[in-house]
Amino acid sequence: MSKPTDLVQGTLDLLILKTIALEPMHGWAIAQRIRQVSKEVLQVNQGALYPALHRLEQQSWITAEWGESENNRRAKYYSLTKSGKKYLQSEQANWERLSAAIGLVLNTA
Amino acid sequence: MRRLQSISHRLRNLFHKDAVERETDQELHFHVERQIAEHAMAGMSPEEARHAALLEFGGVEQFKEECREARGVKRIESLLADLRYGFCTLRRSPGFTIVSVLTLALGIGANSAIFSMVNALLLHPYNFRNLDALVRVWEDRGIDEGYDARYIAPADAEDLRSTNDVFEGLATYTVQSFGLGTEGDLQPILGCRVSANFFDVLASTPAAGRLVGAAEEQPGADQVAILSYGSWQGRFGGDSQLLGKTISLNSRVYTIIGIMPKDFDYPVPVELWVPLALTPAEKGDRTQLSLSALARLKPGVSVSRAGTVLAGFSHRLEQQYPRTNAGRATTLLQLRKELYMFTLPLFLLLQAAAGCVLLLACANLANLVFARMIGRQREIALRAALGAGRGRLGQLFLSETLLYSSAAGVLAMATSFASVRALRTSIPAGWTKWVPGWDGIRVDGNVLAFTMLAALGVGLFLGLATVLHTSRVEPNKTLKETGTGTATPAKRRVRSALVVAQVMFALILLVCAGLAIQGFVRLATVYQGFEPASVLRIEISLPEKLYSDNVKITNFYQHLLRAAASLSGVQHASLVSNPPASNVDSETTFFTREGQAALKISEVPSADLQIASSDFFDTLKISLVAGRIFSDTDGANAAPAAVISRGMASRFWPKGDAIGHRIKLGPQDSAEPWLTIVGVVGDVRQNWWNSLTRPVIYRPFGQSPERSMTVLVRTTANPTTYVSAVRDVVRQMDPGIALRGINTLEEEIADSIAIVRILGILMGIFGLVALALSSIGVYGVLSESVAQRTHEIGIRLALGADPRDLMKLILGQALKLTGIGLVIALPCAVAISRAMAHLIFGVVSVDFTILGGFTALLLLVALGAGYFPARRAMSVDPMVSLRYE
Repeated sequence: MSKPTDLVQGTLDLLILKTIALEPMHGWAIAQRIRQVSKEVLQVNQGALYPALHRLEQQSWITAEWGESENNRRAKYYSLTKSGKKYLQSEQANWERLSAAIGLVLNTA
Repeated sequence: MRRLQSISHRLRNLFHKDAVERETDQELHFHVERQIAEHAMAGMSPEEARHAALLEFGGVEQFKEECREARGVKRIESLLADLRYGFCTLRRSPGFTIVSVLTLALGIGANSAIFSMVNALLLHPYNFRNLDALVRVWEDRGIDEGYDARYIAPADAEDLRSTNDVFEGLATYTVQSFGLGTEGDLQPILGCRVSANFFDVLASTPAAGRLVGAAEEQPGADQVAILSYGSWQGRFGGDSQLLGKTISLNSRVYTIIGIMPKDFDYPVPVELWVPLALTPAEKGDRTQLSLSALARLKPGVSVSRAGTVLAGFSHRLEQQYPRTNAGRATTLLQLRKELYMFTLPLFLLLQAAAGCVLLLACANLANLVFARMIGRQREIALRAALGAGRGRLGQLFLSETLLYSSAAGVLAMATSFASVRALRTSIPAGWTKWVPGWDGIRVDGNVLAFTMLAALGVGLFLGLATVLHTSRVEPNKTLKETGTGTATPAKRRVRSALVVAQVMFALILLVCAGLAIQGFVRLATVYQGFEPASVLRIEISLPEKLYSDNVKITNFYQHLLRAAASLSGVQHASLVSNPPASNVDSETTFFTREGQAALKISEVPSADLQIASSDFFDTLKISLVAGRIFSDTDGANAAPAAVISRGMASRFWPKGDAIGHRIKLGPQDSAEPWLTIVGVVGDVRQNWWNSLTRPVIYRPFGQSPERSMTVLVRTTANPTTYVSAVRDVVRQMDPGIALRGINTLEEEIADSIAIVRILGILMGIFGLVALALSSIGVYGVLSESVAQRTHEIGIRLALGADPRDLMKLILGQALKLTGIGLVIALPCAVAISRAMAHLIFGVVSVDFTILGGFTALLLLVALGAGYFPARRAMSVDPMVSLRYE
């Protein structure tokens, strides 16, 4: 298996939250979306996506609902909760601060 | 909100486990199908597409497990499984379970029983709001030897009340005996005269009626009384129409205005409270420290801050009134602390002893658990081999130990109701009359919480000990071993260490118990200087109205003494104002020696003042050191005489020439007459807290008669058989006079130190339990280790070893373990005895008889614990033991 760029610890959560912020999505679609949007740079390990989704659901950042998929199968759709939205905002701000800071250090050194 | 959602989510995960599992299956399945479809669209063959999709997804089962973990189900699930498993394990070995639960319940129960005492007596002696803000305030002269009574001069109390900014209120009071009823039917009743704000300061309200108003503090307007609940029920038959009725106290008519609640018994259990109405002259008195004071600190004021303020206050008074107040320091102490100043160390010692018993029980149990662990080594190794981590194994053990420690806790709680009631009621009422709060000893929320915490603590402790003990499992090695498994040297060392620790604790506890019991015995013998055996004591209070002058008082008592002395079997009959072991301090007085230069008031010495009739010294067999004792000629018209104690004589007339010197009561300028010292008698311990050599001045009853006296009668036979005879004598003289405090002096002494006796007995019980527990522990470990060596012993015997040598070997092991424990414990025991000698009344110093005795006892126990298993092992036929696995 080709080894894509390893995700920094905790960033998978952020990517999932951001991805489903637009619309409710099922697991497979989330993986696809992340891959496409990142222009194939970020490859989510497909199996590993699900423990993350269940954990986020356990923490009530997201909720799940069964629905009809694009190919007419029953699929579990995840969407952001209210607290999940807030959490995403703060995490995104954190991330931007962090990456900007790292960028600063790397560029000035 | 989020937390709530999360919990409901978790609950669904837990209780609808199958549905959730199915959904996860479906979800993962959908993903793989979708991926296959994607690959198929890209042109892969169906097989290729499936293969690629599964490869990309990774281990399905592994992710399912991770999902379960992410849902937080796994932890709870495994805990439930462990509890179930633990429950089964314990049910499979009922013997072990019963023994361990009972041992722990014993240890925990002992702790809760003692805690219920500490809780009631030390933590909640009174039921007052914000008890910690209540302080006793008194003036300390600093030069008086030993324990001093805590009193304040009325004028000083008044000044303090009006000038301080640290007290919400300051109340004064004085306990006094009244004569209740009318002539012919006069009964003594103990009451308390209190300032109007007394109940406000205590924040107490009456159960019925009202409290004392400020106007009723004026002489003349003060004839109102508040009854105690007990008095209302007992004396007045619970009369519901009692309020507004009148009673006669000391021949004055008082209106009953209120009844206090059942649990109100401050300052001592009295029957009524009346206003403390002082005359202007009494109010202005700065000389006599005659009142007790109690104050409530303002919110936020600390005791130390109040102490500073009081120091400044005393300083001002010293400057302003140097004649009376020089050298006086106004002092305060929290009410809670005052009560148990003397016995606090004993209580703490007792709680520590109970803790020690629990530790011993734990050690025994740890031994049992470890022994079982050796049997379960293969199971544990198998679990480890199958992937159980250390944490997972720890959870297993912890849930087992917690199971039986909680069972023990529940058992201890269930039995605590009965055991605490037994503790409270098995002690005779006479013993506990000086123990405030004793009736409040019961199992309450605090005690139950304490019990459960102790149980959980024990469970955690044992569980963690087991985890540490089994942490180094080597599955490979253990599983390859045949047989039931044996203890590795390291594990044997742990168990030996437990034995050593048990012996240590047992010795320390036994020595403490020995000292506590010895302390009690010593305390009983601390009443030196007189012979209490065969002496009857009876308190008499003559009513003021009928016995208004000294002649009447003297006549009454002289008649009484003469009649009592003429009873057959009575050797001596006498009077004294404050008999030994009364648990009340004697009246103290300043005194001045004739010919001495004038002293500053702060340097004027003080002494206890006793009024005694001529036969008093013979009745109690107090030795005469020099001069003479009083005789009947020391009457009202004779030259004023005094007898002083040896301690006073040697302190103030060190050359031994006290006889013939003159002293007078009060400071240099007092109007008291000069008293000639006619005799010196031996020192007498007044109360167990007083020092033996405290100066005492005895005055002859004939020259300073008082209405309230204690009659002491020395008899040849059992003194209690004379009670009715003395009662008849008094009735013939005046049927209106009641007798109080009828008891033999010996019993009174025992009662006065009852709390020490109770604590001593409890310590003794703990000592015995400790001995039993540690014997069982030593025996258990040795018999186990001998049993494991049965095989080896068999070989040795078969090869012709001398059984005596083998016996020596095993006994040597027993003695070695015990010896190590003793060697460590002895210095600790010596150190603790030293500390106890400082803290606890009656315990004088390190007692080497006690130390040696218990050391020998423990060695004997160890020998027995080694001997019996060894004999059993050797009596087995070598052939049998060789086959023994």
